[in-house]
Amino acid sequence: MTRRWPLLLLVLMTSVLLGLWSLAANAVERVNVLMPAPFADATAELVAAFNRDHPGIELSVSRGPLETEAMSDLAISSLLLGSSPYDLLLMDVTWTPKYAAAGWLEPLEPWLGDDALADLAPGAELGNAFAGHLWRFPLVADMGLLFWRTDLMEAPPRTPAELETISRRLQAEGKVPWGYVWEGKQYEGLSCVMVEMLRSFGGRWLDQNQPELSSPAAIEATAWLNHLVEAGITPPTVTNMAEPEALQAFQAGDAAFMRNWPYAWAELNRAESPLRGKVGITTMVSQPGEAHAATQGSWGLALLASSRHQQAAIEALRFLTSEEAQKQLNLRWGYTPTRLSVFEDPELLAANPVLAELEQALSAAVLRPLTPIYAQLSDLLYREMNAVITGEVQPAPAMQQLQSNSERLLLTAGGAG
Amino acid sequence: MRWRLWLLMAPALLWLVAIFAAPLLHYAWLSTQAQSVLTGLEPRPVGAEQWLRLWNDARFWQDTWQTLRFGAASVGLEMVLGLAMALLLHQPLKGRGPLRTISLLPWALPTTVMALGWRWIFNDPYGPINQLATRLGLGGIPFLSDPAITWMASVWADTWKTTPFVALLLLAGLQTIPADLYEAAALEGASGWQSLRRITLPLLTPYLLIAVLFRLAQALGVFDLIQVLTGGGPAGSTESLALYAYLNAMRFLDFGYSATVMLGSFAVLVVVAAIAALAFRVGRSTPGEVR
Repeated sequence: MTRRWPLLLLVLMTSVLLGLWSLAANAVERVNVLMPAPFADATAELVAAFNRDHPGIELSVSRGPLETEAMSDLAISSLLLGSSPYDLLLMDVTWTPKYAAAGWLEPLEPWLGDDALADLAPGAELGNAFAGHLWRFPLVADMGLLFWRTDLMEAPPRTPAELETISRRLQAEGKVPWGYVWEGKQYEGLSCVMVEMLRSFGGRWLDQNQPELSSPAAIEATAWLNHLVEAGITPPTVTNMAEPEALQAFQAGDAAFMRNWPYAWAELNRAESPLRGKVGITTMVSQPGEAHAATQGSWGLALLASSRHQQAAIEALRFLTSEEAQKQLNLRWGYTPTRLSVFEDPELLAANPVLAELEQALSAAVLRPLTPIYAQLSDLLYREMNAVITGEVQPAPAMQQLQSNSERLLLTAGGAG
Repeated sequence: MRWRLWLLMAPALLWLVAIFAAPLLHYAWLSTQAQSVLTGLEPRPVGAEQWLRLWNDARFWQDTWQTLRFGAASVGLEMVLGLAMALLLHQPLKGRGPLRTISLLPWALPTTVMALGWRWIFNDPYGPINQLATRLGLGGIPFLSDPAITWMASVWADTWKTTPFVALLLLAGLQTIPADLYEAAALEGASGWQSLRRITLPLLTPYLLIAVLFRLAQALGVFDLIQVLTGGGPAGSTESLALYAYLNAMRFLDFGYSATVMLGSFAVLVVVAAIAALAFRVGRSTPGEVR
């Protein structure tokens, strides 16, 4: 009998210890953020610093897929379960109204205040609020840019006609096989291209929630993109080009101009890049008298309604989007900041030669339509646009078709009639 | 006696109900509801509205046609190539074991990986095929940017991957055919072609049917290959029914309509499978007849 005592004692002690440990574990608030993998890498040091400074919170990052739509699939799958394992979500700008309408997000203004966006650079504040609430705080700004070869021309073109003239001249001289590469594949990137072209020709996608896609400006914009392909300024393979393919062609020296996002600038200026130091960035060309537009594509943090650690999650959100964090993300990883003060930081201005141009492009930012059914609207647009540039249908009838399809969608979306 | 039979079958039946019948019934119910991001994801009964929408949806019918085209072309090609491959692997060749294993490799690759591979092979102008074509002075081939060509490229990628699966099924079938049948035929002076037509093919019919049905069911539900290779483009020319249903659910958050599209494509699959099975039954009765 007595020999069993030590064993019993051991069991008792273990269970007490386990109980204490689990109590202690409960005292620590766990906050989990879902981000695309590159962001998870870039924020790793910040997360470690946050955890050092906040003993009561354990911040961890789940690495999501790199591709935006795959990331959305993962987030939506988890949210549909009802109890998502995430507290914060790093979201693309176009998801905001959809996620908010689905009831997955928690409004941020009770936590951050009504003037939370006051410190942001012009352009960065767009796309975070919808239906009277703030749903997202931007971590990294992103906008469409026109990349041009500084070794082939004095100054970048400012109008579609100039872009065409310079392209033709360089092609005729045999300097480049193609003039201008952009994203023409049947996917979201083509909608981003189109948002810029619509604005550049004086049109818009939606006005007061009514589509304006068969307006003369919209037809002209479409016809110009189609003309680029027909005239041989843009290669016919553009109909299958996403960002990586466009960058590949531009980096190989096969085009004088490219439409892409800021990340491409860092890629083009890597040590092994043949175009290192030969690339400039500016805003998209536009018709005389119209604005140069840059499609806004920022990533921002949102608080999930299902989170059980909202206070702690907000702490993490504040930290990750702080001035200091944004400065680090720009210095170390080249991410475009969203706070005005970071754009004007002398240390960053010295380290990053294009920061001023990025700030200027951001101020030209144009949003894609802010509606919960944006994904459907965009799907209609990029399908039709892709059909135009593959030569399946002429610009004018295509845009009329697109207009009526979009009108019908807005009337009947969701079968809610 | 009878109740005991049912009792013994009950676990399997319950399982079937759980994984087939229940989701189908749920979908049938969902297709009478509007449940989308615009209803806050709450279901709202709309009667037959989603079905009317499906009927009038040109995109659904275009995708139906494209899915059938993809299914017919890829399964047809796979049957011919798979049979050839099975016959080859059935021969008593040296190194047949390793050869059989190696030939299965494409099938063992995850579809996403192989689709990424083909996307690179088909890349215009930097992919290997087009690099070679350019060097030979031929123009580039717009594998993935021309609606008339891209669907064939997707068929080819699918054929490359799943032919080994068909070959494996048919090889198993070939091994059930007794060798003495061939010996007897050879003694009677039958040529190789004749014994293939009169012995191999008729006896292989059940295996061909299984292969066709398996492959049709997979091909008509094609999603991952298309999603990775083309994303449904160019100009929507490779979008499949499964991709359309996925877009409606995961991108558009329109679950009511997505369920309707799924059921619609399920109906297409059932009709096609029935036609295929019937065709085989009709075909099977002929070889046995005296000529």
